[in-house]
Amino acid sequence: MQNFINSLPTEDRLPLELSKLYEQFGYQKYCMSKFEEYGFYSDNRDFLSTDGIIAFNNSAGKLMALKPDITLSIVKNARTIPFANARYYFNENVYRISENTHDCKEIKQCGIELLGDVDSHATAEIVLLALKSLEKIDSDFTLIISHIAFVSSALKDAGIFGENRRKILGFIKRKNRHDLLNWCEENGVSSEIIERLIKISSISGTLGEVLPLLKELVTGEATAAAYEELFNLYNTLNKMDLYSKLKLDLSVLNHLDYYNGILLQGYVKNSPSPVLSGGRYDSLAKKIRGDGGAFGFAVYLDGLNLHYPNNKEFDCDALIIYEQSNSTLLKIVNDLCQRGETVRVEHQKPDCIKAKRIFEYKNGNLTEVAE
Amino acid sequence: MITIALPKGRLGDKVYKLFASIGYDCSEIFDDNRKLIFENKENGVRYLLVKPSDVAVYVYHGAADIGIAGKDILDECGLSLYELLDLKLGKCHMSVAAPNDYKEDQSRPIRVATKFPNIAKRHYMSFNREIEIIKLNGSIEIAPLVGLSDVIVDIVETGTTLKENNLKVLEKFLPISARLIANRSSYTFKQNEIDLLCGRLQKVLEEK
Repeated sequence: MQNFINSLPTEDRLPLELSKLYEQFGYQKYCMSKFEEYGFYSDNRDFLSTDGIIAFNNSAGKLMALKPDITLSIVKNARTIPFANARYYFNENVYRISENTHDCKEIKQCGIELLGDVDSHATAEIVLLALKSLEKIDSDFTLIISHIAFVSSALKDAGIFGENRRKILGFIKRKNRHDLLNWCEENGVSSEIIERLIKISSISGTLGEVLPLLKELVTGEATAAAYEELFNLYNTLNKMDLYSKLKLDLSVLNHLDYYNGILLQGYVKNSPSPVLSGGRYDSLAKKIRGDGGAFGFAVYLDGLNLHYPNNKEFDCDALIIYEQSNSTLLKIVNDLCQRGETVRVEHQKPDCIKAKRIFEYKNGNLTEVAE
Repeated sequence: MITIALPKGRLGDKVYKLFASIGYDCSEIFDDNRKLIFENKENGVRYLLVKPSDVAVYVYHGAADIGIAGKDILDECGLSLYELLDLKLGKCHMSVAAPNDYKEDQSRPIRVATKFPNIAKRHYMSFNREIEIIKLNGSIEIAPLVGLSDVIVDIVETGTTLKENNLKVLEKFLPISARLIANRSSYTFKQNEIDLLCGRLQKVLEEK
């Protein structure tokens, strides 16, 4: 079975392997409808990572949407279990309007959501599952971790709000230290704060390397709490094999309206854009459910077949060419299949098919022939 | 190996000389031929010569790890990239210009001719002025002279072209220069190499 799974294209193989991984860690499969009332998404537009919602009227005239996001649906509809965390995994498609081409896009996603008490164990578990998910795509991968609350609180402590905050976050996101410096100098920001902001935009390395630098940037209770959370994560994960694949980089600041704590972004060697994205989204959970913490991530499967093509040498193990069939041909094919071989039967050898072995079936006999 | 997307033309030549001076030379690049890819395995560098407006696209899609692009192109395309250094080359300004006798009619939207519709929209939106964009690909200065637009939004270096066409700068709003950009994934996997290159480049720029 594993050989068969390994032979599948990446986008087909991964959902199976990731589902197994998430089930092993106690996550239950969550299935959802493709459609949701449009009003739900428009009410929570701030939490959507896309502006483009594909809407249509159903037969009753109600405005519906093809779901643009999975997390919102799970947070709204999933049942929580008393005195336990809700742990769900999903293997679903989302529908969005492409920012580049403005065409409708169907995007395959696999991922997990944990709703409830997101303590240090739950946090480490999700980060570990993100690491393991990336490893299933390519052994050469990196998971970037960031902390939105740390950066937001550092700006708050520095007295930077509103439009200025938005501007500075933009510079940090692009690691654009030259424009950050110019802007701060033009706007009378003190040299001490400028230095701190430049350090925030520069921090990038393993947790062990950069946590001491981060500690120097703690300015108040909120940044101290964020630092503590990252330090606890380091203490738990530095004992694991995959720890070296985890990097802290505070320039990763996506969906600031959606996430409010630790943020995850995963890269694999062959893909130029992130293939995993997620984070802590307590504020969304509070808005919709009224309580609790929430943490999750999604693996984006689209494009992985392009970056990780399935380079199978042969299209099938055995190609059988026959002129006339009789009752034994199907039995022969069935026997070969039961031995684990892939078999194709044709009247003539198709040019586009490459077989490991070619057989001729004549008068009830099977003879191997040279290609 | 680092793959660098260089803009073809004068800026690309200047930038290549900078890179060569810090140990990333690839002498073949000056050979008289039509090749667009040059590699020096010893120095661990590969150059792609591309249209200036395409540099960011090559880097964004990971065909190049880093590249050199003008701030105008970066702000216009809005791609998610790292912007690691200001090379302070090709300095100019994004400006609003109009015929010398232009007087704004506040009772209607301004017709703006530009190669940079996103930058122009953002600029006018910042003070809530309604505009109508006319997207052009070149010779923008003609537009207000033949009544196609009221003003233009374009990059202005010396202002000579404007003067020769009886136009004046109304407003300079975005300083432009060449920036070193990096693909986010490439930066993640090649951080040491890219940081080393940036450090050397910064040193040369500071010495200038």
